[in-house]
Amino acid sequence: MIAVPSIIIFGIDLVKFAVDLGNAYMLFLAVSLSLNLEAGYTGIPNFGKVMFMAGGAAISAAVSGLLAVMILGVNVHGNYNAYIVTVINQVNASLAKNPVLSVELILLGTILAAAIGGFLGFLVSYPAIRLREDYLGMLLLASAQFFQIFLGAYYPLIGGTQGISVPDFFRWAGNGIGVRDVTILGFLTVFAIFVYVYSERVARSPIGRTLRAVRDNETATRALGKNDVAIRRNVIIIASAISGMAGALLTFQVASIGPGTWDRITWTFYIWVMVIIGGSGNNFGVATGALWFSFLSSGITQVQNALPSDLPIDVNWIRYLIFAALLLWILAFRPGGILPEKSSPTLARRTLSRALEEKPG
Amino acid sequence: MVWPYLTSSIIFGSLFGLMATGLTLTYITTKVPNFAYGSFVTIGLYTSYSMNRFSDFSPYMTTPIAFGIGGVSSVLMYLGILRPLARRGSSLVSLMIATLAIDIGFIGIFGIYADYLRYGFNMTDSLSFYQILADFRLFGEQGLLYIAPASLGLITLGLFLLLSRTKFGVAMRASVENPSLARILGINVEKVYVFAWFLAGGFAAMSGAYYTLYSGGGVATGSGLIVEIFAASILGGLSSIYGATIGGVIIGIGENLLTGGGIALLGSWVLDYQKGIPLLIMIITLLLLPRGLASLFE
Repeated sequence: MIAVPSIIIFGIDLVKFAVDLGNAYMLFLAVSLSLNLEAGYTGIPNFGKVMFMAGGAAISAAVSGLLAVMILGVNVHGNYNAYIVTVINQVNASLAKNPVLSVELILLGTILAAAIGGFLGFLVSYPAIRLREDYLGMLLLASAQFFQIFLGAYYPLIGGTQGISVPDFFRWAGNGIGVRDVTILGFLTVFAIFVYVYSERVARSPIGRTLRAVRDNETATRALGKNDVAIRRNVIIIASAISGMAGALLTFQVASIGPGTWDRITWTFYIWVMVIIGGSGNNFGVATGALWFSFLSSGITQVQNALPSDLPIDVNWIRYLIFAALLLWILAFRPGGILPEKSSPTLARRTLSRALEEKPG
Repeated sequence: MVWPYLTSSIIFGSLFGLMATGLTLTYITTKVPNFAYGSFVTIGLYTSYSMNRFSDFSPYMTTPIAFGIGGVSSVLMYLGILRPLARRGSSLVSLMIATLAIDIGFIGIFGIYADYLRYGFNMTDSLSFYQILADFRLFGEQGLLYIAPASLGLITLGLFLLLSRTKFGVAMRASVENPSLARILGINVEKVYVFAWFLAGGFAAMSGAYYTLYSGGGVATGSGLIVEIFAASILGGLSSIYGATIGGVIIGIGENLLTGGGIALLGSWVLDYQKGIPLLIMIITLLLLPRGLASLFE
């Protein structure tokens, strides 16, 4: 078994800290970039981000888990949700010997999650694109809250309020902390880089300029022959598909799912904090914002772990206050974020400078 | 079987009527959906809870104090955060996210307060308490069944008299409908807005204090009610005070009666989806009658 080295300073294992931070960051990066695509570039105030992640997470947990059990021939007495707990160790042991199947199920779950995320996005987009910003924000927030209730109420999907364990599709990379985390970091990094490159390509292409035009003046966009309704719908679908994939990957990482994970503070509000701190409408800015957020958040967790556990105050309350105050401070004193949006170059810089040189006079 | 749902419809109808009236007051003055509004309900919950536990106050006696604390916090939020942000030229989306941040900040403050009560005063249920059993009974029913609708009726009547019979009320309506014209006429629009926000926070906290008599509470209870309050306000048209009152009553009655009827007809699983009913009403309103009930009476 390969072991991950540990460097311990002040009682903190730096390697573990870095890997955990990386895992959190890559997920936050992908989701915040997708929100940036909606809110930053296209002006869709998605206050229901968590719903699309939760949708992807739930479907991937349910389908990949069930398929694993069926392919491995584990007996769950025809009731997956009720019996998975009793056979989870057996399933994990078989999956550990079968990396190809595991990876296939991870990919399948992630693709399904993208499909469900996109479908939810499509459903929501019907009323959404017809509404004004304020109504749209309220509708999305309300839908997301109901979706969380639905996850808890509808037992067949993920076992109701209790949630269920999900087979560990990363077990082949080792049990528990260590190599498994590093493997997951690899998967998440590939995913996040893919989302970053995609967002950046969209932002720099003519489509990116169309999105900004829809955001800044939809009447003018319509007059120029662009279908602003279809553009908004497509952006919601794509961003929601990305969120769904992120939800699936998080579920595979923690190897369990429950409705409690999907609250609007973590996966809607914090994502907005990252986008606004970093600079909405600027992908690199948002990546920076997500990094700052992940670093601060992991730092708070480290402080929490270092403090005695019988502390009279739950550190989470302080976390809420810090991020709420930080967001308000940024909104008041640096509304563009750390790296504000830049005007987009219409041509490659080289072409542009050549054109300027050729300009007569 | 049906009776409990009938009483809960009356109580929640009245409470949501109050809350939606307040939310609409904040919306018509600032034109920003106030996602932090639910937390003012929580202020009422905790005022009532603490006073009841510390000195055995009946929640009815704590209501005026809850009203005051809720009103003052609401004014502080408006003067301290929303107005400065709006003056710096924040966009509508920025202001919305600011109210979401305020809500989460409030949850943090309530959490710290609840932990303080827990460790400082050994109140083990401070993070999630059940209803306070201090209500009086009249004709075999709990007092809230009479007090809640009566309060809503009195407040609506009071608002009606204020807005239609007093000079300040007319100034209020003018400031909401056309702020710049109102300013030209020498009306202190800011004073009017501050007053509206005070009333809004007060109504929320007051309904929170009542709420403790009927249902459990915790740090995020009010925050969780925001969907119902918004549904009520949107049903009423989002810019009509009386519309909001009626919308709240309809949401409260509809949610509870439909759940009760659904359980009787379809089975107990309907209970799990109770909170979906206001959302459904909200979506139907937005699609079919986007300007709400108020547009029917114009």
